[in-house]
Amino acid sequence: MKKTFIIVLLLLAGGCTLDCFADSAKQKLPYIYTDWEHMTAKNGLPDDHIFAVKVDGPRVWVGTEDGLARIDKTSGKIQTWKESDGLPWRVISAIDVSPKTGEVWLGLLGGGVARFSAGRFDHFHQLNSGLVNDVVYGLAFENDNVWVATTAGASRYNTVTGEWTIYTEKNAPMEEIWNYGACYDDGKVYLGVWGSGVLEFDVATENWKDYLDPDGEMEIDLYRDDGIVHVITTGVSHIDGVLWVSSYFGMSRYDGRHWRGYYAHETGLPSDFGNSVEGRSANEAWFATDKGLGVCADYPTDTWVTYRMDPETLEGIAVVSVDNKELKSLKTAKGVPHNHVLCVDFDGDDVWVGTVKGLGHAKGAGYYKSLK
Amino acid sequence: MRHSLRLIVVVFLFSGICFGGYGQARHPVYVGVRQCAECHRGKGMGSQFSKWLHSKHSQAYASLSKPESEIIAQYSGILEAPEASVICLGCHATGAHAEEWEKDDTFFVEDGVQCEKCHGPGSEYMEVMSDPEAAARAGLIMPTLKDCQSCHQDKSSHLLANISTQMGPEERMELIAHPTPKVMRLKKTSELPEMVSDSEFKYAGALQCSSCHDGSSKGYQFSKWRLSKHAQAYSVLATDKAYEMAASQGIGDPQISTKCLKCHTTVFANPVGGILDSYSLDEGIGCEACHGAANKHVESGDTSGLNAVTEELCLTCHQDAHGIRFDYEEALKTIAHPLIPATVAKKTVYKTPLYMAIHPDGELLYVACEASNSVIVVDIQTLKKIDEIPTGRQPTCVAFSPDGNEAYITNRLDDTLSIIDVSAGKVLKTIAVGDEPHGVVTDKEGRYLYVANTIADSISVIDTVTFKEVKRLAASRHPWALSRSSDGSRIYATNDLPRFVKFREPSISEVTVIDTFKMEVVERIEVPGANLMLGMDCHPEGEFSLFVANRTKNLVPMTRLIQGWTITNALGVVWPDDSVDQVLLDEPGLCFPDPTDVAISPDGRLALVTSSGSDRVAVVDLEKLIRIIKESSEHERKHILPNHLGKPVEFIMKHIPTAFSPRGVEITPDGKLAFVANSLDDTLTVIDMDELEATATIDLGGPEEITKIRFGEQVFHSANNAFRRQFSCHTCHPDGHVNGLTYDIEPDGIGIAPVDNRTLRGIFDTNPFKWEGTNPSLQRQCGARLAVFFTRIQPFTEKELESLTAYICTIPRPPNRHRPLGAPLSGAQRRGKAIFERTVTNDGRAIPKDARCVSCHFPPMFTDRQIHDVGNEFDYDIDSIFDTPHLSNIYDSAPYLHNGIADTLEEIWTKYNPEDEHGVTNDMTKDQLNDLIEYLKTF
Repeated sequence: MKKTFIIVLLLLAGGCTLDCFADSAKQKLPYIYTDWEHMTAKNGLPDDHIFAVKVDGPRVWVGTEDGLARIDKTSGKIQTWKESDGLPWRVISAIDVSPKTGEVWLGLLGGGVARFSAGRFDHFHQLNSGLVNDVVYGLAFENDNVWVATTAGASRYNTVTGEWTIYTEKNAPMEEIWNYGACYDDGKVYLGVWGSGVLEFDVATENWKDYLDPDGEMEIDLYRDDGIVHVITTGVSHIDGVLWVSSYFGMSRYDGRHWRGYYAHETGLPSDFGNSVEGRSANEAWFATDKGLGVCADYPTDTWVTYRMDPETLEGIAVVSVDNKELKSLKTAKGVPHNHVLCVDFDGDDVWVGTVKGLGHAKGAGYYKSLK
Repeated sequence: MRHSLRLIVVVFLFSGICFGGYGQARHPVYVGVRQCAECHRGKGMGSQFSKWLHSKHSQAYASLSKPESEIIAQYSGILEAPEASVICLGCHATGAHAEEWEKDDTFFVEDGVQCEKCHGPGSEYMEVMSDPEAAARAGLIMPTLKDCQSCHQDKSSHLLANISTQMGPEERMELIAHPTPKVMRLKKTSELPEMVSDSEFKYAGALQCSSCHDGSSKGYQFSKWRLSKHAQAYSVLATDKAYEMAASQGIGDPQISTKCLKCHTTVFANPVGGILDSYSLDEGIGCEACHGAANKHVESGDTSGLNAVTEELCLTCHQDAHGIRFDYEEALKTIAHPLIPATVAKKTVYKTPLYMAIHPDGELLYVACEASNSVIVVDIQTLKKIDEIPTGRQPTCVAFSPDGNEAYITNRLDDTLSIIDVSAGKVLKTIAVGDEPHGVVTDKEGRYLYVANTIADSISVIDTVTFKEVKRLAASRHPWALSRSSDGSRIYATNDLPRFVKFREPSISEVTVIDTFKMEVVERIEVPGANLMLGMDCHPEGEFSLFVANRTKNLVPMTRLIQGWTITNALGVVWPDDSVDQVLLDEPGLCFPDPTDVAISPDGRLALVTSSGSDRVAVVDLEKLIRIIKESSEHERKHILPNHLGKPVEFIMKHIPTAFSPRGVEITPDGKLAFVANSLDDTLTVIDMDELEATATIDLGGPEEITKIRFGEQVFHSANNAFRRQFSCHTCHPDGHVNGLTYDIEPDGIGIAPVDNRTLRGIFDTNPFKWEGTNPSLQRQCGARLAVFFTRIQPFTEKELESLTAYICTIPRPPNRHRPLGAPLSGAQRRGKAIFERTVTNDGRAIPKDARCVSCHFPPMFTDRQIHDVGNEFDYDIDSIFDTPHLSNIYDSAPYLHNGIADTLEEIWTKYNPEDEHGVTNDMTKDQLNDLIEYLKTF
């Protein structure tokens, strides 16, 4: 019975894929993820609320509301750590892996940060270290330093010298100090600050640059594409010279010269409420929103793919749109595990998506960039 | 003008960043005593400046040139020349802890203990001194007797040189008394004599000479002058006696009398072409009075203005001066200041061989010699020393590249690695590594080098082509030895300090395992109950690895030593599945103290383990050892074997005696010979591995003489003075430092009054000792008390005790890794310094003087050597008053507080100072606390 069901699902998925290729003969389309795998506590994750996901070679690290998981992609085995296993704090809100040492650093929402190295957790918090605050939302490695985005500023920890540096309104252009997202690319650290836009830190010069909403309007974007759409930012991702930003009131793209703002009512974004963003290239970014996953699949043509889950049937829905015109809509046996999407990470052609109810693994066999 | 400009720049740079909110708008800088003298000279001002010139304070810096200073420095664990040591300068100079930008061009360190040493840097208050309140607000300090204590408590190191720094309060103040008259009369500088208009030579002043004519390499010429009566020739004119003599000749103020000044100052004696701005009358008879005007010499080295010193020249002033007979030859001896370096008693330099490595071809043995800063090369065929190659300071471990072309030596004191060209027998290159490197090994191919940075808790991975560090891996605490598995896939690192555990819980140590392919830490193997894990070796067939460790029962009173198992000594086995077994090396009545290194024979049949505390090598039958372990139940392996004193007789074949303090052990690739480094005998013991007997001794060429300090070092490392030879001083103080444990010392109940183990590095002048501060001297600390509470055997003999304390004093303070000598403070450190010295809280409340950091932890030792209650009485304590610890290199002696309850410096204030009793800190923001800690790390 179970076998039959799987075959039906595969046929459905296969049908969708064929359908896509049929359409592509008429108009170029982006790649659409139709093959999804879901993982929840039933599969062995410590919790269904997935707050962070990080691909690390053959492993995927998953931070949940109640523990850490490591998925071995080869064997499919899941190993978990809870507080009873030495995990210093139950809620994991951010994960990054040191590119040099392979150490896994965990942001702990309310518990500081932890270094996970060969099975041992070293706990750094505001009482035993120089970390500015224990409410951690984001983590990013920059050379030998770990940047920690916290609710009371950003901390930079030098893993070689052990020195902690704090950045707040005292020494950085933070009008607010609630740091949400952090990323590092090409000599610069970017912080998404709730109420203070995006801050850029030049590692070589140690100079700061801020990106704010130039029109200063909280509710409306008075002048289009004049800068970041809103100062209440949640996520930042810099790749190939382009900065992608998520906020609670729309998303932004900045190529170093031109800004572009994105809203749900005029793009494939499912919602303006962005939880995070992960850029895949200068032309592709994945936005995790409270109403689904919005993928700017091809920036030059403004082509989007919107992934949602049908709450009635639990099937996946993928909608391709250009200039907010729907080109194609298709259903898949599975899609995002839940429409409230929190985090995304890329794994070669695959994508891992964390939601409030489980982890989604979108398999990208035949993935291609841009349009075909 | 330059002063003003600099001040403006400094204020611009740091205002609002460093000092905003800390109470002072402008940061004061040191201006030097001559700026004070502008007003404070002359009888109308109580001759204050001349009184200082005439005091020992003005000679404090110069006194560092005396031969006894070098002895004092040695007995203080100071490695630098006294005049370069911030510890010495802390009491012998002014502004020793200030940065260069905090000293104006008019400030000279050579002026010793100047006005600003006691009254604070003067740039801000010097203009408003007529208003005492304004001056106080601008930073003028009126010191109390307690302030004087920072330097004037007795120092053991100085007493050894028969110099007492302690004085009674009245005596102290009387000597330097310089009251300001109620009616002040400012006096202008004396008018200078008419100069010789056509002379191109001018006086530059003695301080200009000091930049080239001081220091040990220049025979301390300037300092010798400064200590002479010549340097006080002007100031002496302000004494009562001078006034009496002047009055008898009808002269008023001798300091303005041309008649007096003619022989009491340089320029009046011979006006030549005048003076440069750098010259001051106050120097009295300076260098140029005898050697000629030196303006050209100072500027370009031109000697045309200089002249030879003749008897005739001296007699121009000394001919029956004041009725004193002048003997030219005797006078020359008195003021002799030859350029050649002062003759220093030749130091006895030992070798102190520590660890070794055998060249891949099996023909050469390299021995790292800690005391001689060299590697000694031994020919294995002839068993002779054939070469000695200078390295960095305190070379510790050696490794060869797989092709044998290069040898790598870790230099513990320099934080460097020496790369030796083996064929040339010389150092090719020296590179920086992490703090206090110990173990070193390459991967199997020799592509990468791994170095254990002991104090930094990390392992450097270094590219052997570029010799650049490619990454730094986190170890546990104090990684010590590194050993590569036989297949080359892994490198094992022992960690000599246990991990932080919860208060009053048994220790857990770690073997850190690195995957050499990924160059990442892949395992952290827990070793329960172990501490001081040192040497390690991997089995040739990869069956297991061995390490040595202590198993210290630090949670029960040390007096339980009498039961024979308080400090036990173990051999650990790490299996390929990363599980661990431990067995003891001690037998009832025959302990194996301080196991230091282990080597497995090439056939995997035997292991040799050194006991540096009992001068023996244990021969372990590995087949029997493994059988015993494997035949034991899981319960026995976990709970019985690690503590069983009866088992070693089953697997230790024999003990081979060595000379003093065997440390490293190596076995030749053919398995025929083994070498043991007798660290305190400067020899190697050669063991025939077939006979299992010591068959030869190789003399490494150390001196035959055993000095008092060397004898003390031997006592320190020997377990002969502990019940059943269970431990030595070194057991708890490896490398003179700490083993990271808290101890329950006294028989006052289990767990009562636990105390943190404190470092011995540079402790000599920090008495009293013991956390309760009840032992006034090291002799007391290490004497009968030690026998009662620790060793449970007859106390040291008088000779042993005297030598032991002499040795402990000389254990060096390693250089500070967070602020190299003379380096400017970083931004965070600079802000932290302002917090350390702050007088008001963030919200403007005054901090009582006794509650300021700097009040109890003042430089140079950063301790007031008093006992205080800082609100740290915990459940198991029986007292609340503890000795103020010194803060030298505080960053590397965690845990903290008297009972080691604080794992980090942060916790001292975030967790254990809720009522602001340990300094006022609860108003501080997190970034301020970070800054404070960054500054503390510079001590």
